[in-house]
Amino acid sequence: MNTAVTTRATTGSPTAVPLGRRVLDAGPVLALVLLVVVFSLATSRFFTLPNAASIANQAAILLVLATGATFVILLGGVDLSIEGVMATSSLVTVLLAANDRNGNHLGYVAVLVGTAVGALFGLVNGLLHTRLKIPSFMVTLGTGAIGIGIATVLFGGQPPQLLDDGLRAWGTERIAGMPRLVIIAVAVLALGYLIQKFTRIGRYILVIGGDEQIARLAGVSVARYKLYAFVLAGTASGLAGAMASTQLGVGDVQVGSGQLFATITAVVVGGTALTGGRGGVPQTLVGVLLISVLANGLILVGIDPSIQRSVQGVVIVAAIAATAWTQRHRLRVIK
Amino acid sequence: MTGPLETGAPVLELRGVTKRFPGVVALDDVSIEVRPHEVVGLIGENGAGKSTLLKILSGVYQQDEGELLVRGAPARFRGPRDAARAGIGTVHQEQSLVGSVSVAENLLLGAEGRSVRGGFYRWSDLNARARAQLAKIGSAISPTARVNTLTFAQRQMIEVVKAISVEDLPDRTVDAEPVVVFDEPTSVLAGEDLETLFAQIERLRTRASIIFVSHRLDEVLRISDRVYVLKDGRCVAEREPGAVDTQELYRLMVGRASTGQYYREDEQGTFDSTTADADEVLGADGLSLRGRFADVSFSVRRGEVLGIAGVLGSGREDLCRAIFGAEPLDGGELRVGGKRVRFRTPADAVRAGVGYVPAERRFEGVAMGMSVAENILLADSSAVSAGPFAVPSKRAALVKQWIERLRVRTPDPGTDVATLSGGNQQKVVLAKWLSSPRLRVLVLDHPTRGLDVGAKEDVYRFVREMCGQGLAIVLLSDTLEETIALSHRVLVMRDGRVAAHFDAAPGAKPTQVDLVEQMV
Amino acid sequence: MSTVPVSSSATATPVSPAPARSPRRLIAAVPAIVLVVLVLAVATQRPAFLSATSLRTLLEGTAPLLLLALGQTFVILTGGIDLSGAVLASFGTVLLALWLPVGGPLGAAAVLLALSLAGALNGLVCAYAQIPSFVVTLGTMGLWSGVALAVSGSSTISITKGYDTIFWLRDLRVAGLPVSAIMAIGAVLLAAVLMRVLSKGRSLHAMGLAERATQMSGGRTFRLRILAFALSGLCAGLAAMVLAASQFSGAPSLADSLQLPSIAAVVVGGTVITGGIGGPLRTLVGALLVVVLRVGMSVAGVPPSFEQIVYGTVIVAAVALTLDRRRVDIVK
Repeated sequence: MNTAVTTRATTGSPTAVPLGRRVLDAGPVLALVLLVVVFSLATSRFFTLPNAASIANQAAILLVLATGATFVILLGGVDLSIEGVMATSSLVTVLLAANDRNGNHLGYVAVLVGTAVGALFGLVNGLLHTRLKIPSFMVTLGTGAIGIGIATVLFGGQPPQLLDDGLRAWGTERIAGMPRLVIIAVAVLALGYLIQKFTRIGRYILVIGGDEQIARLAGVSVARYKLYAFVLAGTASGLAGAMASTQLGVGDVQVGSGQLFATITAVVVGGTALTGGRGGVPQTLVGVLLISVLANGLILVGIDPSIQRSVQGVVIVAAIAATAWTQRHRLRVIK
Repeated sequence: MTGPLETGAPVLELRGVTKRFPGVVALDDVSIEVRPHEVVGLIGENGAGKSTLLKILSGVYQQDEGELLVRGAPARFRGPRDAARAGIGTVHQEQSLVGSVSVAENLLLGAEGRSVRGGFYRWSDLNARARAQLAKIGSAISPTARVNTLTFAQRQMIEVVKAISVEDLPDRTVDAEPVVVFDEPTSVLAGEDLETLFAQIERLRTRASIIFVSHRLDEVLRISDRVYVLKDGRCVAEREPGAVDTQELYRLMVGRASTGQYYREDEQGTFDSTTADADEVLGADGLSLRGRFADVSFSVRRGEVLGIAGVLGSGREDLCRAIFGAEPLDGGELRVGGKRVRFRTPADAVRAGVGYVPAERRFEGVAMGMSVAENILLADSSAVSAGPFAVPSKRAALVKQWIERLRVRTPDPGTDVATLSGGNQQKVVLAKWLSSPRLRVLVLDHPTRGLDVGAKEDVYRFVREMCGQGLAIVLLSDTLEETIALSHRVLVMRDGRVAAHFDAAPGAKPTQVDLVEQMV
Repeated sequence: MSTVPVSSSATATPVSPAPARSPRRLIAAVPAIVLVVLVLAVATQRPAFLSATSLRTLLEGTAPLLLLALGQTFVILTGGIDLSGAVLASFGTVLLALWLPVGGPLGAAAVLLALSLAGALNGLVCAYAQIPSFVVTLGTMGLWSGVALAVSGSSTISITKGYDTIFWLRDLRVAGLPVSAIMAIGAVLLAAVLMRVLSKGRSLHAMGLAERATQMSGGRTFRLRILAFALSGLCAGLAAMVLAASQFSGAPSLADSLQLPSIAAVVVGGTVITGGIGGPLRTLVGALLVVVLRVGMSVAGVPPSFEQIVYGTVIVAAVALTLDRRRVDIVK
């Protein structure tokens, strides 16, 4: 009697959680710890409170962006319109608040409108993607350009200055040593976590990202939840644009420059898979810290800041390659 | 809503159910019944109609003729949800769980109801409901566990719970115990997990009625109260496991008047076993691929057809793909024309003269969106090229030649191959390989699947012709009949190993029973 | 088993060509028709548009865009996308500025080689790690953009010595047309011809339409993918040469703004984003469309700041219209 050779357990495993998976899950946190240790040893300026505040300041906007982006990436999609949405939102916010171009002074309402503009972009992204079946990277590439375009038109050649002191304070002041924007970022993070863990939107996004077919068969309105994900991402981008404006004090088309990269890198490196269904907001927090610590540390150590982008580029590819490595097969078709 | 029945009357009944597809009758006047708390087994070969029957029961297909009665009342399922609402739950072969969320979420997906208020999850409520469902089969799996941390066997348990939970659907049309259908549940289970499954089924029977489909006869006989045998779309027998032996079942499953003429057996050449190695075109020694097959050896000569028989999970499909370079090999030696070869990709195999007609014709056989002509020239256009340049006149001539020779019905060589019928598409695939002058071995993976009789006859004719011209063929077929009739030798695989080796010279063919015995 | 016998032994009787082909041909002609309409529309508003000088200037400015779009075409035909093309071209101008003074023609060849290799790297990572091309090229876009900044010291480098290696791209004219434009159009025509006459000329199309079937027929899709991206890199190199010649310098972001228009050119020309359908000639039409559109916008009095809006909208609209929805069941 021959012993059976076939063990076609496709995705299961004899032990409860395979060792490989555990290492992968813990990877980002370990990497973060490693980086902190390495930089602390490399330069004495790293492990100080002022530096921590500096890291937090840089990370705040990134955290907001990445939290929103997480929902789209959990679906298996991607939002490349981040910088464009930030640009438009920044201009809208500044032009509605007290500025040197016109007589508006809507104060906090301006921020609200800027954020709503982001939500609108998200809505458009989601509709074009779900209704017209255009891949998300293509849609958001286009709408991102539209966003830059609108911002350029509003820009009019000269950056409008933000004169509202109340709003400016949010971008520049600190509370208990921590930049105020960090508080917003943490609030957004908490909200994101709440949505992911406790709301139908969050749970269904995970289901759709895990297996869209099964979701559909179970009667889940897939298009609707995909739409929600893009709206969340767009709203976050809108808010981030307003935040950046309070920091810089102007409305600028370039306000989001470099953020697209950093956001996607942060989400992916934190452990949320580009294919969807795996990861989440807590993982994104780790990713954001990783990117921010890396950026900060590299500058302190004296590395040319332009290398920053190169490093991020390589990191994105490496991180995704690492997570997708086990699924490789001779005949696998990936475009 | 229909309520519980008097004891003894069937909970589920098919009466004279017939289902047709273009060119084939999948189910022909089938009548089956399931009584309360009973385990009914369904056995039959590939293509006997088991899968179609299950799809009708689970609402994926609708029958063309005949009735489906649930608790005595006629039912018409327009989709899977209707079947679920009528209390029929299916444990499928392919798992239907989402790995990224918890057990509870999977169990109640789409049916969260009051556990989600205003968009917010009330976890304690959801988990409690899930726990109650899990308790139905006495499972200790935690409802909060994320599904991709569970083992395969555990996930199957969750599938069982999902199937039974049709009885809790708020919009159910039948308020009684469910009917649970198990579709090949054991094909990937072994040892302890297998015993656990059987124990679950025993427990299940006190609160449900069960249909159990499997190709593993011993298991079906062990667990069932009654067994139906399907063959060629008909229900040919009903037996009780105690009152039948496996030999009789085999005969019922496969016994058929041999129609040698259909397969042109008279055209099959004979081989002298003493010249075994001289003409070897394809040879293998100890081929293995972890988890799929191990220690497979065979030899195929010029003009010979080697048939490989085996059921799901026997490893024969993976073996054939490995021969073509579409799957890796962990060990063993593969030879083409006596020379040792190593195929990293199908491209290597094609260059060595190996061709492959895949079972998945639409994705791997024909290039949809491209023309018939382009498809025929897809594998090897060296004969109609001048160096790197194409010679349009030669190309057109070659294409025309093969369209005529294989009688491909197409209005124009430039038509999109996607518009052709299945049979004609298959001919295009064959033309693709046969038109290559360097072809030495052709692997046929379920070549007549989905083809009508006329197309099948054509394929058999081509096989004989190709052998006559010295081509070596490895054949995987849906039916044993086809395998036996077309092959010169038959390899039987079971659980990844070669179980038996038969000579199948014309006039001295093994019977199907001989093969089935080794397959299961 | 009772079957419905369908005899397939009848000889294939020729019937009129299947209707499926004519609508496709019609759709392919749309961009060309739109181009003609647009040109006429602009000409009626500004008759000088059709003058020889004006058309020359138009074509001259189109060369870098056309070259980048050509490179992009190879990749999109296989079903992928190259987001790093423009950045590579920018990097190329920096390299030219650094290497031309040193190596002359050899320097130029080295740049072309380097960029082709960079492109090949894109393809290699895609094929080997089996990750989506938009991710890989997003990453390499960052990589090379950073390297370009670092190597150039974030500043423009003028090309004085060594300029004579590439001066002819700008100053030499044939029939009034600068060589750069001729080279670009020539490259497109060469690509189109090769795809037609080579025995394996349709390999990229096959990959885009049915990659699995192509693999299972012996097609070396791994190598083909690398080739497509390498060609994209080569085209970026040619674009770099043209740009460096016209600007007399190299700068780390010189070509960056061409990324979106190059994708627009491909998509608007009628090459389908899912792959398999389209080609270099369509891209030529698309590039002309994009350029004429820009002219048209200024003629219509639309401020240049609206350019991005137009490109974005045009891309989304073109993709939406040409997408082959049958082949996309799960869209991510």
